[in-house]
Amino acid sequence: MTPLAQAGAPDLDVLEREGLANVPDTAHDPGPGPDPGDGRGRGYGQRSRLSPRRLWLVVLAAAFVASLLSAGVGRRDLVNPGGWEMVRRFFGAAVRPELGTEFLRLTWDSTLTTLSYAVLGTALSVAIGIVGGVLVSQTWWRSSRQAPRRPGRAQVGGGWLAARGALGVPRAVHEAIWALFLVNVLGRDPLVGVLAIAVPYGAVTAKVYSELLDEAPAAAFRALRAGGAGRLKALFYSLGPQALPDLVSYAFYRFECSIRAATILGFIGAGGLGFQLSLSFQSLRYGEMWTLLYVLILVSGLADLWSRRLRSRLTSPKPALRGHSGRIPPAMYSQAGGTVVGQARPRRDRLLTGSLILAGALVVISVWHLGIDVARLWAGRTRTLLADVASSAFPPRLDGEALTELARLSLETLAMAVLATALATAGAVVVAFVAARRGATSLLARAVLLACRAVPPPVWALLFVFVLFPGPLPGALALAVYNFGILGRLMAEVVENLDPRPVRALMAQGAGPAHAFVYGALPVALPRFAAYGLYRWEVTIRETVVVGLVGAGGLGRLLQTQLASFDYRSVVVTLAALVVLTFVVDLAGASLRRALR
Amino acid sequence: MEESENVAVTLRGVSVRFGANHALEGIDLVLRQGERVALAGPSGAGKTTLLSLLNGSLSPTTGTVEVLGGDLSRLRPRDLRRVQGRVGTVHQHFDLVGPLRVVHNVNAGRLPAWSLPKAMWSLVSPQEASGAEAALARVGIAEKLYERTDRLSGGQQQRVAVARALVQQPEILLADEPIASLDPGRSLEVMDLLRRLSDETGMTLVVSLHALAYARSHCQRIVGMRGGRIVFDAATAAVTEAMVASLYRLEDAEV
Repeated sequence: MTPLAQAGAPDLDVLEREGLANVPDTAHDPGPGPDPGDGRGRGYGQRSRLSPRRLWLVVLAAAFVASLLSAGVGRRDLVNPGGWEMVRRFFGAAVRPELGTEFLRLTWDSTLTTLSYAVLGTALSVAIGIVGGVLVSQTWWRSSRQAPRRPGRAQVGGGWLAARGALGVPRAVHEAIWALFLVNVLGRDPLVGVLAIAVPYGAVTAKVYSELLDEAPAAAFRALRAGGAGRLKALFYSLGPQALPDLVSYAFYRFECSIRAATILGFIGAGGLGFQLSLSFQSLRYGEMWTLLYVLILVSGLADLWSRRLRSRLTSPKPALRGHSGRIPPAMYSQAGGTVVGQARPRRDRLLTGSLILAGALVVISVWHLGIDVARLWAGRTRTLLADVASSAFPPRLDGEALTELARLSLETLAMAVLATALATAGAVVVAFVAARRGATSLLARAVLLACRAVPPPVWALLFVFVLFPGPLPGALALAVYNFGILGRLMAEVVENLDPRPVRALMAQGAGPAHAFVYGALPVALPRFAAYGLYRWEVTIRETVVVGLVGAGGLGRLLQTQLASFDYRSVVVTLAALVVLTFVVDLAGASLRRALR
Repeated sequence: MEESENVAVTLRGVSVRFGANHALEGIDLVLRQGERVALAGPSGAGKTTLLSLLNGSLSPTTGTVEVLGGDLSRLRPRDLRRVQGRVGTVHQHFDLVGPLRVVHNVNAGRLPAWSLPKAMWSLVSPQEASGAEAALARVGIAEKLYERTDRLSGGQQQRVAVARALVQQPEILLADEPIASLDPGRSLEVMDLLRRLSDETGMTLVVSLHALAYARSHCQRIVGMRGGRIVFDAATAAVTEAMVASLYRLEDAEV
């Protein structure tokens, strides 16, 4: 490997995994090819006017404009001027949060509830992830027979593909929809909230874990297998320990996401901070809303900080990229001997041990706080209700008129997602570079990003509905603000991990800071930003449902009316449309990422 | 400006300390224009630190560094950049921008001369591509002009890094371990290339090397360094085996 290839291939950050793992990133780059003219055939080579890359950019721009038009931008009656007074009053209440003892107690209790859902949802999805991850890993499928390997590429076969594909289905349906479905089966039970998080998240976690296991060096595993060890034993002794830091690290990232999911679930009745937020909003008690929002921002901030600390501790350090100069820091030279001595690593990392104990304690507290009764799952009533739902949902209602409406709403949903993602990406690119620097502006930028992602999209949607007439636009804007918070943070991490050497090299030969930035940092960062943007687009298409539930349009709106009227035969059709739409967007996103790489 | 007697670089009483670590200590050195000088010595001797003093990316803790007649730590930022523009550097790890095409990496050497809008537009529609191509032709890979840099082999990337320095039309070329990651065949090619370029343009060449053999065959003068100090400084012919051995003595090898 050449130095450049090493520099260009930082460990695939665990954060990136969810979105980027299915596309080989730079880490899997074939490396510098000795073959001359190698690049020419791939579209990088020629200086043609319309490379696939440029073509895609044109398509993206067109999609953005089409989405703007379809969301009604340019029409007259878009803004509701009367709403500004409400917005003013809402933000005026920011300095007067409700601090009465009674309400604070309620807030504390709600916080515990939301956290409990997040903790148990994460714990369960990690459990699902471990079992599922092993079962769908290529290594597992390949080594199913204790037989000498044939030379050449091992085949994993259709069974593996089917197993992997099946994981996509639970994920395609948003947590909120799972909750609405589970309520019908389990009744009003805390298990609903936990399962609604654990089912879709468990599927993603299983997918990511299987990829982590497959990426771990397989030599040790093969050696153990060759020595006659059983599949599972060999796995636990070789691949497991190698992948463990990444597995733990991803679990904590999931926890951050679960807090956001648990809050959103509150909006549809699971209790906790989201529920209180919607109650306070309905009674126009803005002071109460602000108390809840402040707590939410605080909790999200702490969870982010915790998970970030832990993840940077767990993922292998990259000395060449991290250090300011790439030199061995002077402190690591011993004064007398002259040899390089690394600081002796403590045998047990206190942060890590403490975190794991705390996580365990949180699980116990959560079970107790929510009063989880697992027996409910196989109670007779559950089975009857499940049968009821199943029978009332079939046969699906399919007629021409409904299909036309479905197609229209699917396009509207797509437009919402495109608009939201485009706006969020544009904003995040700028703010990421500010947030990645040091100093006061950076802190401010980070605070803004945190607030944007901690406040759940339904709240943003409600705010936008003050000033904009209901429709896809306020929904798109709400999702844009929320995704801006998430993307900005992800992109800031990209910027922090950029290889500083090219910029330094350019500065050393006399280029100004702006020039050096444009040549040395942007070209490396932009493709990764684009990949994140596309990944969020795939997530956003699922999240349109959430703002749809508060009336912002798209398939979510339709789903809400159908659920409210217990029209399960239509619900099934709408859900199917959502799943199809999600898969289409996933496919488009994956091929776009490949083209832009 | 004093550029008397064709002096390219003057270091007087230069020390560099990172905390308690003395990277360079009491360095006095004068390099003449057109000279080919090798910096030799074990890892940690301070060769890279010395080179980063010469291209102005590091300033000394004490002492003065004069490059092409200007005291680097006294120049205003704009003048410093002008001097830096006359010094080309080929870094040990090339420090190229992987996702960019070769033409942009080479043209990055022109950045000091370009306005920001021109630099940005060039990323869309390459400017002065013929200049970049000519520089690539001189290093022997003209056909790679529009390829992605991170798809080139190590030796080719090294050449791109040299071409980037060449479009600066530098008066001084610094090369930090240019052959450390190349196989013997490529190493010889790159060293021959550097010598030829220095001969053709009369530019000063300062190259840090692990391999003494190349220092002997390709440079006129060898500066031996160990533990941040200059151990010897002599014409290549005058460097004896004993002097070389003193560089790599195992006991008290570092500070």
